[in-house]
Amino acid sequence: MTLWFLRGLRRGVVTTRYPARPDASARNLPTPPAFRPRALTRQTADQLTSICPSGALSRDGDVLRYDVGRCTACGRCAAQAPHAVATSGAWELAARDRSVLIKTIPIRGGA
Amino acid sequence: MTEPVTTEEKQLRDTIARQFGRSLHIRTLDTGSCAVCEQEIRLLAAPHYDLHRLGFFFTPAPRHADLLLVTGPMIRAFEVAARKTYDAMPGPKVVVATGACALGGVYPQDPFTYGTVDAVLPVDVWIPGCPPSPLALLHGLGVAVGRLAEKVREVSFTVDDDSERSVSSP
Repeated sequence: MTLWFLRGLRRGVVTTRYPARPDASARNLPTPPAFRPRALTRQTADQLTSICPSGALSRDGDVLRYDVGRCTACGRCAAQAPHAVATSGAWELAARDRSVLIKTIPIRGGA
Repeated sequence: MTEPVTTEEKQLRDTIARQFGRSLHIRTLDTGSCAVCEQEIRLLAAPHYDLHRLGFFFTPAPRHADLLLVTGPMIRAFEVAARKTYDAMPGPKVVVATGACALGGVYPQDPFTYGTVDAVLPVDVWIPGCPPSPLALLHGLGVAVGRLAEKVREVSFTVDDDSERSVSSP
């Protein structure tokens, strides 16, 4: 923020260059979770499914279904299971097809 | 919106993209959102994001609008107004559902809402996020007019245990 302000004062331009150039402030955005399949067990997946406030997660056998569209990036799954959930850093999430936003995460950690 | 099948369909898509390419008027429609999406949309017009430089403009009249930017979970009381707004827009028109509410995340079971925008309106582009940041909205608008590529198709939302913090492709 400070750097952004000083750069703006120096150059006199505050407007972002996005989409022609990447925007540095995008690093600070809250982003949806990314899962570690090998650290993810069926029990952890059920736990995460039950605490997800927007119903973005559901388990189907050895597959965790993750609906990016429903996710509010609240970070509760990452707080519950920090060994299995990280932040994805992806924020350009717009899709022309709703089914593109539903991701299947393999569960490789066993029960 | 699915992938184009025939060459006529592709030509039509290209024509629409060209017509929308330089000047696009946006009508925002709040179907019961908490107004944080509106705050982010309002920021698009602020100097830092400055969406006018890209040829996007806000309009209060649906009859002047090319793109309907819908927020909120589509409360049932608003259905008639939403349909009237959509019908009043001249074609070709694009409907963009914005935010987790509009995509079915926050009120899927609420009896007073439809839960998703596409229960009432034919949605062309979905922008996730709660709220989607102005940068994400800019990307979504770029996707809607065919100027930017959708990137979420390649993101698998899994992390390899070996390479920390990197999002691997499928």
